[in-house]
Formats: sequence, structure tokens, C-alpha cells
Amino acid sequence: MAFSEFLINYGGVFFAGLGIACAVILSGIGSAKGVGLVGEAAAGLMVEEPEKFGKSLILQLLPGTQGLYGFVIGLLVLGKLDVGMSLAQGLYLFAACLPVGLVGWKSAISQGRVSASGITLLAKNEEHSTYGIIYAVMVETYALLSFVSSLILVNAVSF
Amino acid sequence: MAMAIVKMSEFSLFAFDVEKEALLKTLQNFGYVHFNNLTEDFEDESLELEPVKVPHKLTEIEENLSKVSSAVNILSKYEQKESSIKAMMEGNKTYTFEELEKIASNINYVALADEILSLSKEKDSIIQKIEHLKTEISELEPWKYLGASIETLSNTHFSDIMIGTVPRKLKEKLIETMSTKEDVYYEIINEDKTNLYLLLISHKLDTEDLIDSLKNLSFTKVKLQIKSTPEEEIKIREEKIKKHQSEIEEIENSLKSKVDYLENLKLAFDYLNNLKLRFSVSENFLKTEKVVFIKGYIPTDKKDEFEKSVREALGNVYYLEIKDAEKENPKVPILLKNSNYAETFESLTGMYALPKYNEIDPTPFLAPFYTLFFGMMAADVGYGLIMLLGTFFVLKKFKLSDAQRKSIKFFYYLSFSVIIWGFIYGSLFGGVVKIPGLIDPASDYNTVLLMSIAFGVIHVMFALGLKAYMLIRDGKWLDALFDVGFWYFALIGSIVFLLSVMGVVGGIIKTISLVMMIVGMAGIVLTGGRSSKSIGGKLAGGLYSLYGISGYVGDFVSYSRLMALGLAGGFIAGAINMIAGMVSGLGVIGFIFAIIIFIGGQLFNFGLSLLGAYVHSIRLIYVEFFGKFYEGGGPKFNLLRAKPKYINIK
Repeated sequence: MAFSEFLINYGGVFFAGLGIACAVILSGIGSAKGVGLVGEAAAGLMVEEPEKFGKSLILQLLPGTQGLYGFVIGLLVLGKLDVGMSLAQGLYLFAACLPVGLVGWKSAISQGRVSASGITLLAKNEEHSTYGIIYAVMVETYALLSFVSSLILVNAVSF
Repeated sequence: MAMAIVKMSEFSLFAFDVEKEALLKTLQNFGYVHFNNLTEDFEDESLELEPVKVPHKLTEIEENLSKVSSAVNILSKYEQKESSIKAMMEGNKTYTFEELEKIASNINYVALADEILSLSKEKDSIIQKIEHLKTEISELEPWKYLGASIETLSNTHFSDIMIGTVPRKLKEKLIETMSTKEDVYYEIINEDKTNLYLLLISHKLDTEDLIDSLKNLSFTKVKLQIKSTPEEEIKIREEKIKKHQSEIEEIENSLKSKVDYLENLKLAFDYLNNLKLRFSVSENFLKTEKVVFIKGYIPTDKKDEFEKSVREALGNVYYLEIKDAEKENPKVPILLKNSNYAETFESLTGMYALPKYNEIDPTPFLAPFYTLFFGMMAADVGYGLIMLLGTFFVLKKFKLSDAQRKSIKFFYYLSFSVIIWGFIYGSLFGGVVKIPGLIDPASDYNTVLLMSIAFGVIHVMFALGLKAYMLIRDGKWLDALFDVGFWYFALIGSIVFLLSVMGVVGGIIKTISLVMMIVGMAGIVLTGGRSSKSIGGKLAGGLYSLYGISGYVGDFVSYSRLMALGLAGGFIAGAINMIAGMVSGLGVIGFIFAIIIFIGGQLFNFGLSLLGAYVHSIRLIYVEFFGKFYEGGGPKFNLLRAKPKYINIK
């Protein structure tokens, strides 16, 4: 079987699968890194003030959502997988996964940085930690927008 | 019920300085007084007024406060702890301010605290002694097998006796070196992971030579500061430690017997904090030799009570003037009063900024939108029921402070919205039980997206409406038309025109909306730059204002998060159910695992959904809503009460 023949026969499902992988892997890497950044900052705080654990956990959780958005998109595309799908459909689904994968990856890291600074706020003044949370949420907006566009793209065109 | 910023009155009071303390005591009982800092803006030296200073009194109170606070910390360690849930249910005891004063004046808290502190200090010094003895023991330990007392190891007429250590890794080298020295006796008394412990006896003539060769073996000479054998010395120290430990036990017992006084000390702590506040506020006042000058704010509806308190404290010897606070004064302190429902959202307003006295309180307006948005993003009947039952239980069974009650009630009100939206989306724990919904967000996400944007348009329009209201209230009719009216025309016109182009609405509406849009936009270009001096500036400013329409587009798009978060939460809950369902097919153990996955996963998603809904609703309020009309920046009305730590004050 020639490569071109393989592409035509199975390229669709391959690229759709690659799309799922990208959505989950990239946003997952970003979230893991973001959550890790905040965790490192928070662990230092726990030495002095373990009673702030609850609030620090909220800050740590914030950059974790991108990975979940990627996971959700992955699940949605999974529902469309079919061995016989056309190459065009597979490439399209691959493209639909890119927003949440790429934006999720980078935005989770940025959000992690903001959240880590939020830990500093928490250390100095517990009441002000909410400001840190809100700053971090500003970053999340773009992850949400990419999630919405991936979501629309996945469902917008029917082959 | 007035829902707004509480109306304030400004008072000026002259009284005799000697009666200041009595006055402040009565006013603290009254509570609702906010003093102006007169030392900041009163610089007229000709009146021979000087700031009031009470440094000695304050230092004394602070000293007592720190003593009582450390005593409380020490005693708390010996307290019989109830389970934390039970303690939370019982909450802090509630006292009126008068009761607090009365009880505190009957307790000799300083003596009590001193006694506890000295006991604790004694304990610390004994602990230090024990530590010291333990280090000594650990130094002696390796020499335990040296049978001779150290005294007898002194040098004899012909020979030198030494003890010391050599690193263990040099053992072979040591044995080799020693085998060449005939007139030296050596013995390895002990060895551990790192060192060899040696006894060396040499002829006086050979000692120098021995030390030289030992240098190559990193020999460290040891001198033990003891008399008898190391073993005996260790025993002596161990007995001392035992004795000290029983002393500590005694001290701890007497500390334990003081635990009953813990309540009193906690009370005294909160009393002292109030006392400190009472004295420190007087540093805001000005005085002459005999007369003190006080200025401040009180809520207008408490004017009579205030006058009564002043009369009670000062008799008839004072001068008091009360007038309504000036609307435009930025220093008027802000106290908010809202309905039962809206007051739980005051913390959101406060977190952004309290309104200025001439603004409006945005709390009652943000509350319904916040409730709507929160429900839309968390949207699950199951999650809503957990919130409802949980908050209801806490509200009924727990004794809470006012602030705690407000924050629990906040989630209580929100739970209804979560449940309603759960029914609309047909979601119960992510669809574990199928319930018929009005919209299926997974397939009908377009409807949800449009609905979200529509809510956004309404929200933003409402914010503009509030701006217009404030302008009209202040008699600025034209500004209201220019800054809000034209924007209404432009925004509504363009949205409807867009819809008619897409064919959603048709006919005459298309023409009307086009006209509206053009009128609005032209109006914005003509008036948007009116503050500028030159014609060119006015035109440029107007065009720039119109460019602001792109900002509105961004605002509307931002509301798509209402759909995105609701959908994401639903999908994650569904995924958890799917995984649990796959596992449940694997026999009994699989079924148990499925239950664990379901409960754990749903709880995780519950927390995540609430957190997401909480923060993203806040963002929509702060950025998209407040950005249109709200400035804020008023100072908080501070009651003449310190925030209690261990009790509730009525």
C-alpha cells in the first residue's frame, strides 16, 4: 500500500486522533507546569502559616483548568472518531483541537505565574489573596475563549 | 427599607479634656461613631490648638495586650480540645459591650498573665538545661567503654596519656603506622560510622614523634571535662534529666490547673483591644489647655441616640453641632445598608471599592446578576442541592458571627440559582440520572452561547442605565444623553441591524435600526470629545470615543464564559460518570471502585465548578459591569469597636 493510499484510507482517523492528543497533551503540559509553579511557591508559605492551606489551594487550582478544557475537547472529538472518516474531516478536527491545545498550554503557564505571585499576596495579607485570584482569572479568559472556539469548531461543520 | 449608602451627619463637639475618657467610654458603647483625623488638615496655629497625645497610656495597654495574648497562646496548648465540628457549632460566646466591660474590670488579668508567663519561662529554661545535658551525654557516649576515670588518666612521670579520634576510613593506615612504633600503647576503645576513638600511651621521649605521625591520620585530640569514668558521668547526667523532667511535669500541672481561666484571658484580650482603640482614636483630636475639639460622622438615623450618649457622659457642659454631611466630600465614611438578600453581596462591593458618598451603592444591582451568572456556570441540580442542604444545616445548627452568617447565606441564595439552571440544562451530577431539561447544552450550545451574549448585552446596558441615572440625579441631563443615550442608540441600533442583515428580523425594523445606529454614532462623534478645547480636539476625541465600540464587542464576547464554564463543568461531570460506568462492569470490586470514582470525582468537579463560577462571576461584575459606571473609593465607616477575636460582641 502506497503512503498516499494509506493517507486517503486512514489519514482521517489518524489526524483526528492526533488532534485529541494535541488538545490533551499541550493543555495538560501547560496546566501541570502552572499548577507546579504555584505549588512550589505555596509550599514555602506552609512552613510559616499552615492555616492558609485552603486559600493557597484555590490559587494553585486556577491554572489547572486549561488541562480540563483540553480534556473535554478531546472527549468531544473522541465521540466523532470513525475508522472510515475522510482525510478532510480528520484534518478539520485536528485544526479544531489547536486553539485549546496551544492557548491552553501557554495561558496555563502565565496564569501559574500570576497565581504564584498571588501566594505572595496571601502570605502578606490573607484578605488580599482574592485580588490575586482575580488577576489570575484575567488570564483564564483567553483559555476560555480558545475553549469556546474549539468547541464551536468541533461541532460547526458536519461531513 | 432603604437600600443604599447610609445617610451620614457630621458633628463637631467641644468638651473639657478631663472628661474625654468618660466620653469615649460612652461613645464606644454606642459604637456608631467615625472620627475625623483633625491633626491632618488643621494647621491653623493661631488658635493654639495642638494634637492630643496619649503615648504612655497606649504603651501600657499594648504591654498588657501582648502579655495576655502570649498567656492565651500558652494556656491554649493545655486546653481539652473538643472536636472541631462541635467547637464550630457552638461558636464564640456573645456578650454585649457593657457585659464585656463589667466582666473584664473584675478580672485581674495582668497578674494572671504574669503568673502564666513566668511558669512558662521557667519551663523553657529547664528544657534548655535538659538539652544541654543531652549534648554532654552525646559527647561522652563514644567513650563509654573507657573503664578508667578521666582523673587517673593524667600523665605519669615517664609517659603521656591521650585520647582522641581518627577518621574510620584511615583504620588500616592507623594500624600500619602503629605497628612501627614499639614504645606506644594504643587501643581502639570504640568506633562508629565516622570515627575511631583511641586511647594512646607513649613514652615521654616518643610523644612528639607520635603526634607528628598522627597528624597524617587527621588525629583530633579530645579533652573530656569530667572527673570519673565516662559511664558514671553519663549516669549522673541522666539522673539530672529525670529530675528536670519531673519538674517540668509539675509546672505543666500547675499550668493545666489554670486552664479554667483561659476564657477570662480571652475576654480580657478582646477587652484590651477595644480599650486600645478607645485611647488611640483620641489622637485624632485637637485640644487647647482645657478643651478638646472632636469632629466626626454618625449615621443620621442614630442622631438622637448619639446626642443622648454625649449628654449622658458630659452632663450639660459641652457644645455640639450636627449637620448633614456634604454630598461631594470624598471623606464622608461609607456604611452600606441592604436587604437581607443583597447585604450578603456587600463583600463583593467592598472587595472592589466602597462607593463614594455621591455615588450609588451598586450592591443591590449586582446581586441579581451575580446570582444569575453563578447559577449558569455551576448549573447542576445535584451540586445545587448539596449547597442548599449544607448551607441550610450550617445556618440552623451553628452559632455564627455576623460575618460568617453573611458568607454562608451568600452561598445559600446562590444555591437556588444553581438548582434552577441545573433543571434548565437537565443536569443532575452530570447526567447520572436523566432528567428532562429545557436546553441540552451539549448539542444546543449555540442557543446557550447566544443567551450568554444576550445576558451580557442586558448587563452592560443596565450598567449604562445606572450611569445615566446618576447623571440625571445630579441634573446633568445633557451628559446623560451624550454619554449614555447616544450609546444606547448606537449599540441597540447596530445589534438589531446586524440581526436584520442576518435575516432574523426583517422589514421596516431594518431601516429603523439603521437610522438609530447612524444617529447614535454621529452623536458620539459630535459629543464624545466635548471636553477638548479646540475643534480638531473635539473631533478627534469624538472619533476616539466611537472607537470605544470595539471595547463593547470585547465585553459581549467575554460573556461567552457563561456558556463555556457551564459546558466544561457538565462535560467533566459526564466524563467522571463515564469512567465510573466503565469500571462498574468489573464485578463487585469494580462496583466499589465505581462508587469511589463517582463520589470523589463529583466532589472534585463540585469544588472546581463553584470556584470557577465564583471568580468568573466576580470578573464579569468588576470589569464589564463596574467599568461602565462605577468608580468607588469612599472610606469605610469604622465603628468605634475593635474586631473581637475570641468572642462576639453585640
